Amino acid sequence: MTIDSGQLDLQYDEVERSGGLDRLDRAGQTANASDPASLDRFKSELGKAIGEVDKLQVAADTQADAVAHGAGNLHEMALALEKADVAMRLAMRIRNKLVDTYNDIMKMGM
Amino acid sequence: MRVFDGTLARLERSLDVRLVRQNVLAANLANVDTPGFRPKDVDFAATMTAIEGSAGHGAEGTPSPGGTDGMGAGAPGQGIPADDLPIVDVPAGGASLDGNTVDLDRTMVAMAENALQYAASARAAGVKLGILRYVASDGNG
Amino acid sequence: MDFLTALHVSGSGLSAERTRVNLASSNLANAETTRGPNGKPYQRLDPVFEAIHMAGQNEAPTVGQAPLGVEVSQIVADQTPGKMVYSPDHPDADADGFVTLPNVNPIAEIVNLLSASRAFEANATAIETLKQMASRGLDIAK
Repeated sequence: MTIDSGQLDLQYDEVERSGGLDRLDRAGQTANASDPASLDRFKSELGKAIGEVDKLQVAADTQADAVAHGAGNLHEMALALEKADVAMRLAMRIRNKLVDTYNDIMKMGM
Repeated sequence: MRVFDGTLARLERSLDVRLVRQNVLAANLANVDTPGFRPKDVDFAATMTAIEGSAGHGAEGTPSPGGTDGMGAGAPGQGIPADDLPIVDVPAGGASLDGNTVDLDRTMVAMAENALQYAASARAAGVKLGILRYVASDGNG
Repeated sequence: MDFLTALHVSGSGLSAERTRVNLASSNLANAETTRGPNGKPYQRLDPVFEAIHMAGQNEAPTVGQAPLGVEVSQIVADQTPGKMVYSPDHPDADADGFVTLPNVNPIAEIVNLLSASRAFEANATAIETLKQMASRGLDIAK
């Protein structure tokens, strides 16, 4: 199995250049129930952010596979795994916050 | 629902193979002074390829009859049966008075490399399982 | 093959090399011994190393593939005749006044010592490496 390091770099560039977290944050701040477009923006940014977390998991898996085969760069693998780990933790926090907020809103409605 | 994917299975198998290689290299060192002894080694890349090939669909992570993690070689928890491994004789590097062709220094280097790769695979498996554990405990663990 | 097997393999290497060191030391110590326990001059001793199959602790030995440890299968006395020196006043001199010295070459024995020492170190390093690997393996379940 050959690992194309060019492809791996591409995965990282996409994720890092996208600045997804900043856009998600801004979309969250400006979202407004009376402005459907802003809600759509938020939804799409959320979707993209989840997609990026997934990309990092895949990149980490690719690196781990390379090392499992005896090829592969050890420090790149370690970095990829850490990025995937941190991204997942961040995603979990955001998800928990969203769930909590939703529950608060539902309680308000009563 | 399959929680543990193909990458984790590959890492587990790589750990097994590395341990077998450690045994083989230790045997070479123990016999560095035994007359007529030919050193052996495990062809790591070929072994990993062979294992994934024999697992068939298992290589992609789908379940196969051999085990729950898709890598068919050996039942889970029993490692790799040593009979299946390509343990090859190392070609002799030079002349030898008593027929022993163990190269002490090369063997030490191979052992160091093997241990390092083992540590890398183990660390990767640990991090992957850590991510799963974190998610499974709802962000609390 | 598992950690314990590798441990025993390297342990057998340590034992065998230690025997070699002991024999080299004995040879050196007796380099001038003209009368051994059997009344004859000291004959230098050599270990004979033999590769042996070591079964894993939990598995039946598969002869072809079990890792090979080492053992000293026998200790042989070197039959090379020793140097004869003319010394008629020596208590062990023969009828012609010659004393037979042991067939020990101190330089060769020291080289043996060094070589055995190096092999011993290598096996000890193998055990250290194995311990580290085991530790990393266990860290997966931290």
